[in-house]
Amino acid sequence: MTTDTPVKSESTARFLTQLDMSAPPLEVRDLHVEFRTTSGRAHAVNGMNFVLHQGQTRAILGESGSGKSVTAQAIMGILDSPPAEITKGEILYRGVDLLKLSDEDRRRVRANHIAMIFQDALSALNPVFTVGFQLGELFRKHRGMSRQAAKARAVELLDLVRIPAAKDRINDFPHQFSGGMRQRVMIAMALALEPEILIADEPTTALDVTVQAQVMGLLAELQSERNMSLILITHDMGVVADVADEISVMYAGRVVEDAPVRDIYARPAHPYTKALLESIPRVDMKGQDLAVIKGLPPVLTNIPPGCAFHPRCRFAQDNCKVPPEPPHYDVDVDRVAACHYWREVIES
Amino acid sequence: MTQTPSRIGEVVLATEDLRKHYPLTQGIVFKKQVGAVRAVDGVNIQLHRGETLGVVGESGCGKSTLARLLVGLETPTEGKIMLKDRDLSTVSARDMRKVRRNIQMVMQDPYTSLNPRMTVGDIIGEPFDIHPEVVPKKGRTARVRELIDLVGLNADHINRYPHQFSGGQRQRIGIARSLALNPEIIVCDEPVSALDVSIQAQVVNLLEKLQNELGLAYIFIAHDLSVVRHIADRVAVMYLGKIVETGVEDDIYEHTTHPYSQALLSAVPVPDPTLRERRDHIILEGDVPSPANPPSGCRFRTRCWKAQEICATEEPALIDRPGSDHPSACHFAEERHVVGATT
Repeated sequence: MTTDTPVKSESTARFLTQLDMSAPPLEVRDLHVEFRTTSGRAHAVNGMNFVLHQGQTRAILGESGSGKSVTAQAIMGILDSPPAEITKGEILYRGVDLLKLSDEDRRRVRANHIAMIFQDALSALNPVFTVGFQLGELFRKHRGMSRQAAKARAVELLDLVRIPAAKDRINDFPHQFSGGMRQRVMIAMALALEPEILIADEPTTALDVTVQAQVMGLLAELQSERNMSLILITHDMGVVADVADEISVMYAGRVVEDAPVRDIYARPAHPYTKALLESIPRVDMKGQDLAVIKGLPPVLTNIPPGCAFHPRCRFAQDNCKVPPEPPHYDVDVDRVAACHYWREVIES
Repeated sequence: MTQTPSRIGEVVLATEDLRKHYPLTQGIVFKKQVGAVRAVDGVNIQLHRGETLGVVGESGCGKSTLARLLVGLETPTEGKIMLKDRDLSTVSARDMRKVRRNIQMVMQDPYTSLNPRMTVGDIIGEPFDIHPEVVPKKGRTARVRELIDLVGLNADHINRYPHQFSGGQRQRIGIARSLALNPEIIVCDEPVSALDVSIQAQVVNLLEKLQNELGLAYIFIAHDLSVVRHIADRVAVMYLGKIVETGVEDDIYEHTTHPYSQALLSAVPVPDPTLRERRDHIILEGDVPSPANPPSGCRFRTRCWKAQEICATEEPALIDRPGSDHPSACHFAEERHVVGATT
C-alpha cells in the first residue's frame, strides 16, 4: 500500500517526538479499573501488567467477567466513564503514557497506531452506511482525502482481506455480507491506517470453525507481512495454542499467570490455568467425568480476600485466604505465576 | 442405512426422508411462491434408547431446524418422524399431547429461554399445567424440589427468579424443566455454547449423569466438535440440510471419509501448541451456499478440492463406501486422518 502524508497538527508533531521507538510497542503497568454500580464498586481490573513485544502475539485468556475486554477498552480509551474509572496505572505506547494524553492526541493514537477488532462485527458496523463509505471515512477524516480517493483505497483494503469482487461489493450494506465477510471488513477497517498494534477482542467467537480458520489465517498473514504486534483476547484455549507467542491468564481482573505459550500448556504453574486445561474434553477421557472447577467466578463487587481463586482451588492453604494477594513469583526468566504454591502446581 | 447401535436398545426415534422447506414469496396481495429455503432436505436418523446422537455442522446447515422438527415446533414439509412405532403425522391432536411428553428440549441460550417474571419453581412446574395427569396437584411442589435437587441446585431457591442465577445454573434450570415430564428423549440444541469453559464441563457432566441414571436418549446438537466427541456415541455431520457422513464417534473422528467432515475437523483449534506445525489445515474457500439455491449434485462440490464432473450431475448417496465401514455421501470418499478435535 502507498503511504499518505497524514494531516499533521502541532500537537501531533509534539506527540511523535516523544515516542521512544526502542521501547516495546505496548506496556501496561499496574492498571486498575473500577465501575461504580448500584451494588458498590466493581473491581473489573486489579493490577494488570504485561509487555507486548514487536511483531508478537500476546493472548489474554479469561472467562467472562475476568476483565479482559475492559483492559482492551482501557488501552483503546473507549471505556465509558462514568461508570468506569481508571484508578491507577500506566498504559505506555512506545514509552508514552496514553492516560496522560489529551483527548485529541488519544484519538490520533487510536486510529493511526493502535486499532481494534470487535467480537460482533454486525453491531460494530453502522447498518445505514455502505461498507465503502465506512471504510473511506477513515481516510477522509484522518488523511484528508477526497471521497473518490477514499473510495479507491477502500476497494484496495477489501481486496487485501480477500473479499471477492471487492469493487462491486463496496456499495453493499453490512447486512448483505456473511458473518465471516463482515469480520473481514472489520479487519480491513482496523488495518486501514496501518497501525503498529492490533487488538482483537474475541474476533472469531461468533464464527463457525471453518470460517474461524480462514479469519485467523488471514490475521496471521497480515501480521507477519506488516510486523504488527497483536493482542488477542479470547476464552478459547485452542485458538491460543494455535497463534499466540505469550499468554496472560486473567482471573478476577488480575493476571494469574504470564508465560510463553509452550510452557503454559505443558506445565501450568497456576491452579486456575491447570484447571482450565483439564476441563477441555480429551479423547482418553471419553466416558469419564470432565474435570470441573467447582463453584463460580467471584462477583466483582465482592472479590475474596487474599488470592481471588482460593474458594475454588484445591491447592489452597490458610495463607491464601488472607491478604495480601499472592505476588507474581518468577517461575522462570520469562514467566510469572501469582500462586504461593506454584512449585506444587507445576510438579503435580 | 446400516448403523450399528453402540449401546443395545431399541430405536426410540427415527426420521424418514424428513424435509422442511420454508417458502420464499413475492408480492403482498397476490403472494406467489418463488422458491424455497431447503433448511432440512431429506434427513434419516435413528436414535436408540439410552444413546447420544451428536449432530454437528456449521450455522445454516439445518441442525436447529432439525431439532425444532423433532420436538414439534415445526411441521415437516415432507417425510416422517417415528416415535417408537408411531408416525407423528398420523397422530390426532389429542394424542399428540401425550406423545410429546416423551420428547423434550433444552434450549441454547439460558438467558432468553427462561421467563424473567416467573420463579424457578413456576418455570420447572409449568409443564404440569399442560400435562396435569403427570403429577397430582398436591405433589407438584415436592416434584419440582426433587427436580431442582436432581440437577444440582439448592431446592430452597425454588422461589427465586432467573436473574438471581448464573449462566450455568440457568442452564440447569432449563434441564430440570425438560425432565419434568419424564421424557425418554431430550433434544439439546447447543446446550453449552453460551457458557464459560469451566462451567461447560459441569453441564456436560450433569447431562451424562442424568443419562446414566434415567436412561435418557439425547440428540446433542453442537458446533463444538470436542464436546460432541466427549458426549456422543454416534455422530452425524450435516451440510446444507443433508447428512453427509454418519457413524460411531470413532468413525467420524478417526476414520473420516467425507471431505467436508475432514475440513471441519481440521479447522478445530487444538489446545496443544506443540502440534502447531504438524497440523494439516484444510482451509475451505468461501461460505456455505444459500439453502434457497443449493448446488446441483453434491452440495459440497463448490468448496470441495476433490470435485469432478460427476459431483455436479449425480448426487452422492449416504451409503457405505469401499475401504470404510460407515456411510459417507461422497463419490470419492477416502479415509484421511486429521489432527483436529482428536487429541
